[in-house]
Amino acid sequence: MPVASFARSQSRLGSRAVLIGGFAALLILMAIICIDSLQTLGKFETDNTQIREDFLYRERTLEKVRAGLYEAGNIVRDYILLGSDHQAQESLRTEFQSIHDETTAALQACIQSLPSGKREPFQHLAVELEKYGSTIGPTFASGAKADKTLEKSVLRGDILSRHAEILALTKEVSTVNDEDLKEAERRIAEAAAQFRRRLLRVAVIAFGCGLVLAAVTIIYAGQLENSVKEKYYESLQAQRELKELSKRLVDTEERERRAISRELHDEVGQSLSALLMDVENLAEMSPRESAFRQGLQNIKTLAENCVNEVRNMALLLRPSMLDDLGLVAAVEWQAREVSKRTGMLVDTVDENVSDDLPEDHKTCVYRIVQEALNNCSKHSYARNVKVVLSQESNHLRVSIEDDGKGFDPNRARGLGLIGMTERVSQLGGVLKVDSNPAGGTCLRIDLPLPMVSTDREN
Amino acid sequence: MKKLRILMADDHVVMRTGLRVLLERQANLEVVGEAANGRETIELAASLKPDVVVMDVGMPSLNGIEATKAIVTQRPATAVIVLSMHADESYVMRALKAGARAYLLKDSAAADLISAIEAVSQGKSFFSPKVSRILAEDYIRVLKQKGAVDTYDLLTSREQEILQLLAEGKANKEVASTLNISPYTVETHRGHILQKLNLHNPAELILYAVRKQIIS
Repeated sequence: MPVASFARSQSRLGSRAVLIGGFAALLILMAIICIDSLQTLGKFETDNTQIREDFLYRERTLEKVRAGLYEAGNIVRDYILLGSDHQAQESLRTEFQSIHDETTAALQACIQSLPSGKREPFQHLAVELEKYGSTIGPTFASGAKADKTLEKSVLRGDILSRHAEILALTKEVSTVNDEDLKEAERRIAEAAAQFRRRLLRVAVIAFGCGLVLAAVTIIYAGQLENSVKEKYYESLQAQRELKELSKRLVDTEERERRAISRELHDEVGQSLSALLMDVENLAEMSPRESAFRQGLQNIKTLAENCVNEVRNMALLLRPSMLDDLGLVAAVEWQAREVSKRTGMLVDTVDENVSDDLPEDHKTCVYRIVQEALNNCSKHSYARNVKVVLSQESNHLRVSIEDDGKGFDPNRARGLGLIGMTERVSQLGGVLKVDSNPAGGTCLRIDLPLPMVSTDREN
Repeated sequence: MKKLRILMADDHVVMRTGLRVLLERQANLEVVGEAANGRETIELAASLKPDVVVMDVGMPSLNGIEATKAIVTQRPATAVIVLSMHADESYVMRALKAGARAYLLKDSAAADLISAIEAVSQGKSFFSPKVSRILAEDYIRVLKQKGAVDTYDLLTSREQEILQLLAEGKANKEVASTLNISPYTVETHRGHILQKLNLHNPAELILYAVRKQIIS
């Protein structure tokens, strides 16, 4: 039994650890999902913004290139129209150079911001832009002669054709940029889909874990409940058995006492009485004042002492009055004995108590009165005790009241009192103790009596 | 002279044998029957009509006290002598209430039985000296414990005289003729005595007398 219960408690400890671990894992899993989701969402947001910003930046650069081209075209046109105004031409040339530089710088900055794989169309554009600049740039520097060349090349449409080419190129780059944007958006969408899938998977796992955990918890709780129920019934059963056992003990003790008492009284006592009679008869027949008669006298004295001894022993075990004369006689005898022995004045009052109460009831009340009087004489220092027995219809009421020092019944509940309560409750009765340290003790019993049976065995 | 017819009731054969030996030594006594339990005793008492029944208390089937009650009710003329192991008041009182005329202890039966039979045959009561002594001692002890005054002193000398005669088992009429007064006067005295001594019936009156050692 102890080994089994140890093993059971071990397994209970184990399953408890599993449950705690399971719940902890589930919580951690859920926390991870939350954090991961938040992080991923944040990343999507920044990625999206970044992509859009990049796109817009490139678009703006391209726009700048286009604007620069138009402006450069205008400057070239103005340069040609101004002819020999060198001062104005000089200022236009400076302006052209600064636009060219600005545009190139913007384009280069843009190229620098791009990842290496995407630089190519922009670099192409930069090269073309450089070529354009190098085509036009020298013409400004050559003065009047250059004007002719410029004029010619303008006429030849050289510049125009380059102009158109760059414009076409910017369009192309713009298209590439668009595609890039779309590509980035697709990537984000795909990442989102992937994230959704992952989320779903983790959620399914978490749900599964939760389900398993719930099942284990329910089973565990069920087992606990069952074992508690089992324990409860076991303890109830044990209590019943204990009660039964104590009743049997009390019954057995009483039976044994009665058997021994009767044996002593009826067999030993009566035989000794008979012996006494025989001795007396013999003495009558023997000559007066002979040694023989003296011897018989000695035997008689001895036998008389024996009879007294045996009678007292029998009475102490179980008074014959209880069986011969009934409860009241036995209680009165007990009261007289206690009075004689202790000097306490024990008064008994009886009100129509039947002489043939059921055996168990008689014994129960007698033993309780005995115990109570015993307690009075031992602990209470009482001078007066009153025992009242009364019978009303189908109830037997007993009270034992003393004027001793009393006690606190809530605190001092000795074995004797427990035994009395047990005896009374076995017969379905109630025992009450009223006592306080100031003013004596009153013990009350109320015993229900069974229906009076008409057939009398004795 | 007519022999006294005696019925013996005891569940112990040894006891009965001892009693029989004791009784049969007396010329004026005759044991007419033996019974081993209460019911048998009642039946034999009815059929044999003995003068005296020597009755054990503890007997199977029906105890001696109950048997005494039955026999005295059936034939008041039969005198019952109760023979008991106990000198306790509870037995004496119940035996007297049942109608027994004498109460003997078994361990002194040999010494007292013949005197008891003589006494009851003359209509008197009889108690083993040991019983009287124990009852008297108890009475004195209780008086002392209670610090009470002996109510006997409340009786007039005439009442004391009548108490003794009544306790000896005499009827009102006999008392009246002994004292040369009217039976009604005796009845009045009797009432006063019971009242003064707080007694309720003839059995208690006899018990009181034994306690006070007015009779033995």
